[in-house]
Amino acid sequence: MSMQTVFRHSLTVRVTHWLVAVSGIFLLFSGFGQMPMYKRYNIVKIPGLSWSDNYEITLLIHYLAAAFFCAAVLFHIVYHWRRKEFAIVPRMGDISETVQGLTAMVGFGEEPEHGKFQAKQRIIYAIIGSTALILILTGLIKSYKNLGAIVLDPMFLQWCAFIHTGSGMFFMVLFLAHVAALLLKNHRPLIPSMFSGKISAEYARHHHPKWKP
Amino acid sequence: MKLNRRNFITGTAAAGALTILPSVRTEAAVRPDSYATLIDLTRCDGCADREQPLCVSSCRQGRADVFPDPPADQLRDYWPQKKHEDWSRKRHVTDRLTPYNWIFVQQVQVAGKTMFIPRRCMHCDNPPCAKLCPFGVKHKTAEGPVYIDHSLCFGGAKCRTVCPWSIPQRQAGVGIYTLWQKYLPVGGGVMYKCDLCRDRLSAGETPLCIEACPKQAMEIGSREEIFAEALQRKEQYGGDIYGKEENGGTSTIYVADVTFSEIDKALVAQMKESHPNPRLNKIDNMLEKQNNWALLSVVSPLIGAVAAIGFAAKKTEDES
Repeated sequence: MSMQTVFRHSLTVRVTHWLVAVSGIFLLFSGFGQMPMYKRYNIVKIPGLSWSDNYEITLLIHYLAAAFFCAAVLFHIVYHWRRKEFAIVPRMGDISETVQGLTAMVGFGEEPEHGKFQAKQRIIYAIIGSTALILILTGLIKSYKNLGAIVLDPMFLQWCAFIHTGSGMFFMVLFLAHVAALLLKNHRPLIPSMFSGKISAEYARHHHPKWKP
Repeated sequence: MKLNRRNFITGTAAAGALTILPSVRTEAAVRPDSYATLIDLTRCDGCADREQPLCVSSCRQGRADVFPDPPADQLRDYWPQKKHEDWSRKRHVTDRLTPYNWIFVQQVQVAGKTMFIPRRCMHCDNPPCAKLCPFGVKHKTAEGPVYIDHSLCFGGAKCRTVCPWSIPQRQAGVGIYTLWQKYLPVGGGVMYKCDLCRDRLSAGETPLCIEACPKQAMEIGSREEIFAEALQRKEQYGGDIYGKEENGGTSTIYVADVTFSEIDKALVAQMKESHPNPRLNKIDNMLEKQNNWALLSVVSPLIGAVAAIGFAAKKTEDES
């Protein structure tokens, strides 16, 4: 007997998600490559990565991946804004609900009832989303100034570079945390929704009782 | 705006049109009144009657207060590499660029005569060294000079790698990375290079090397004046100029009575593998080569937003 499922993510959402994810991985690799580290830390000695200390190549990858990443993120914002889909946007009470959920996970109190997204998912979305927007904004300024003999205020550019590099490192931590969270037994049933769009109806009833797909 | 089939098609078409990008070459935005320098190779004799060219000695003396002075216990290898770059015990070296020698004079035989070529940072218009510093601590100023903030530089030496003349030079054991290098192997020192004596320029003075030159082989002025003068001398000598177009344009123009391809050929012939000197060859700017891709990344949010307007009207699988 096949498992009963409910529809969670449309094809558009899934494609957008994977565009952000794959371009994000390329951005992280090529972005770290913009720091002089792959030669020093012997990444270039890994078979197939001898090119990784070539700044022209990593910059080209960064531009291309940035184009997909920026387009996908802006697509995501405008798409859901036009469709008035705001289920993942944080709302009042999310922080206390997250604390309640986390304490329930370790055996204290009751798990609060969730809609399509849990409060902690909305908060994490906001953190990842705002980090991505900071990266996009500073990255666009950095790309723009590379377009020719464009002289912008050096201190402004220094702040952009610091914020972009720092946010990039933070983004990598968030990315790893996002992947690690999916490995938790509790979250694993959500993984199929990013491939087939569907999750188990039983899981949805149990973890997202307020959600009526 | 109402979402319908027409809007969807329009939005998608507009997004598609944006992906067909024109070939761009951004015009120089360097101010015509910014500083530029002229180096006339017909006048430089390398201060043949002196132990050291005066441009070199004046820079070394006048800028000594900025030179690094690393404590011995901070001179550590760049883990996991078994090396570090220490010029503090070779401060006397004057036949190449070092953190203690920001200008040197190349000597080369061209067409049967000896030429002397003062070499230092070209202060490019679109400098990859400054534009690609991951921490933005290398600055291109509107006045012309490109300089390094020594207090924040980690000494990763990326600027040297992306500089077509490998001008910036690294000294280990100094700078901000010494705060953590014992615990975290990140950073390699501080990069040093000519900053065109920008403090002196701000005070209305002339850079030390130019002031010291007894042959007036070096001059400084507004970009407009210097470029005009360089072209006029090129005509006068029936010679060549270098630096106006190279690496996307610079604010240092060399003028000679022979072609720079001849000079470069001679430089290459005498170059040692262990001691590669900066060349005088034709160089494309690595950033300009990728202008179209940079522009694509700049307009990509717009492409995504326009496409979304079109797609938002479509029904999803569960809606259809």
